[in-house]
Amino acid sequence: MITNGIATVAGLEFRLRLRTGRWRWLLASWLIVLTGIAALIRLSVRPEIVGEEVVDYTGSFMFGGLMLVVLGLALLIAPALAAQSVNGDRERGTLAPLQITGLTSWDLTIGKLLASWGTGAVFLLVTAPLALWCLAEGGLGIGRIFAVYAVMTLLIGVICAVSLGLSAAVARTTTSSVLAYLAVFTLTAGTGVLFALLLAVTSETVQQQSNGEVFSYSEQRPDRIWWVLAPNPFIILADAAPETPTTTFQLPDGTVIEQRQDADLLGALSQAARELRQPPEVFLPGNDVPEPTPEPAPVWPYGLGFQLVLAAGALLLTERRLRTPAGALPTGQRVA
Amino acid sequence: MTSLTGRGGNSGYGEPVVAESVAYDAPHAGVSARGLFRSFGPVGAVQGMDLEAYPGQVTALVGPNGAGKTTLLLILATLLAPDAGWVRVAGFDPSTAPGEVRARMGWAPDMLGFYDALTVAEYLDVMAAAHRIPAARRQQTIPAALAAARLVEQAPARVHTLSRGQKQRLSLARSLIHGPSVLLLDEPAAGLDPRSRIELHDLLRQLAVEGRTVLVSSHALDDLEEFADQVVFVDRGRTVASHRVDQLPAHAGPRLYRVRTLDAAALAQALDTRGVTATPAGPSAVDVQVFGGEANAARLLAELVEAGVPVTGFGPVGGSLEAAYLQLTDDPAVRR
Repeated sequence: MITNGIATVAGLEFRLRLRTGRWRWLLASWLIVLTGIAALIRLSVRPEIVGEEVVDYTGSFMFGGLMLVVLGLALLIAPALAAQSVNGDRERGTLAPLQITGLTSWDLTIGKLLASWGTGAVFLLVTAPLALWCLAEGGLGIGRIFAVYAVMTLLIGVICAVSLGLSAAVARTTTSSVLAYLAVFTLTAGTGVLFALLLAVTSETVQQQSNGEVFSYSEQRPDRIWWVLAPNPFIILADAAPETPTTTFQLPDGTVIEQRQDADLLGALSQAARELRQPPEVFLPGNDVPEPTPEPAPVWPYGLGFQLVLAAGALLLTERRLRTPAGALPTGQRVA
Repeated sequence: MTSLTGRGGNSGYGEPVVAESVAYDAPHAGVSARGLFRSFGPVGAVQGMDLEAYPGQVTALVGPNGAGKTTLLLILATLLAPDAGWVRVAGFDPSTAPGEVRARMGWAPDMLGFYDALTVAEYLDVMAAAHRIPAARRQQTIPAALAAARLVEQAPARVHTLSRGQKQRLSLARSLIHGPSVLLLDEPAAGLDPRSRIELHDLLRQLAVEGRTVLVSSHALDDLEEFADQVVFVDRGRTVASHRVDQLPAHAGPRLYRVRTLDAAALAQALDTRGVTATPAGPSAVDVQVFGGEANAARLLAELVEAGVPVTGFGPVGGSLEAAYLQLTDDPAVRR
């Protein structure tokens, strides 16, 4: 049997994490807090009455709110899982002995990534019963649950990879931890703030002729800077989730309408993000009805693509820094 | 091929001697380093080191703190790339064939870093797996390494419960786990009590007898003579001298020997008749000055025994290494 280097490293790291942390307590309190939040969301939902029909979107609404909370908390946990992985081992003198074995720098890089990512995935997996609860409440498709979990797992992996890269690039463990949290903050709050600031810059004056009268007004063009918000993990998660099922029903006057759940937080966020891509409405002269515009395209492929490129870059950096024999070392860094 | 005698500053201490049977430029399966340079930023840690360590011998690397011993060992251990110089470890170049070197080389760093949460046996198992030793063969190599390092009893103990001396032995066991032919040990005796020190020396001798190349760095001089075949003196990043222990320059000069006896009066008389000046060194011992090397010391001992003096102890006071070392590091020509 040929021993697998990645499995050796990942298995070792996972075992160390399991032995050193108080995981049972941590996971239990994580689940309790999230169950409480889920219950509160559940209590806040009232079935909607449209005409004479009662439309129940409880499950979908609960799930959307819960997943945004889970993502928020996961983004807080993920940096802690990897941000001291390489420089912490260097500090304790446990890295160099591994580097002179048959393990390659890629074994160490991917093994460490898998261990931290796997730990993050365990946190996610623990929330599965809550997702089943949402499913039982109705108005929610199983496909949506799988898609949201898949995207969330990827997002946690990206944060782990970025944190790992920082731990390999920076000599001090405290510095790499702070930088990892700063990176998460930049991706979440930072993109929002930057978008808001840039939005003011995009404002332009539009002249329009109406009924022979020319008037001008200023207009903001979010469609030019929508991509600033695209890397935001919350928007990626919301926008990547498949649409909620529509319900068709008949009003008392006989008209049939199709309604999509819009109280769902994921759906609302997705809708808002996509609308940013929409160019302003165009009125042709003499026409009071705007020209029809195509449905806004999804935002998440760009955001997720950006995040995956970021993660790949972080892994390449990690591998470089783990390569031995080492040439020039960053200041303050020792090989052993 | 550059000759080892090409460096300055050692002419006053006898020609550096390496095993006569081997020419300087003959390749061997031990360790060769010629004209080695490595700096960290503006700090030149290694500035022209030469070293030969032969299979079947224990070679001691001696020098004050900051002399470049650890950096040299890191280069030999495939962790650091030299800026310049020629290196072979077990016949391979650490820079271009690190994998080949790693399979044949064991390294015990000066920093004792282990995973505290694992037991001794688990730790060695992980390290063996990292060396890509199949699980079935680990059943034999791990007990063998534990036995060699006298850690059999500690096998089920968590690493953090070990004493410093036991951790030194675990470090040694780790370096032996894959049956290397070259051992690079950085201060393996640091923090060991006298008994453990003696056991370490016995182990090092035994490893050399088995045909391995053993390179040991140390700044403790007095007991190197007990187990080293060859001594390489380094100071300020340079090789200052390299000698066979039994041909150390101090062996030729006057040396102090301590003679213990059951009959102080008989000893005093016997020494007096031979014109040897003695200074008392305790109730039943005197120190005598012996000129002309060890042969004369041996002759003096034989004569004393022949004369019926009940000698219980006869040995040099202070190491000849110490004498040589102090001479070397004191000399202004060497110190530049």
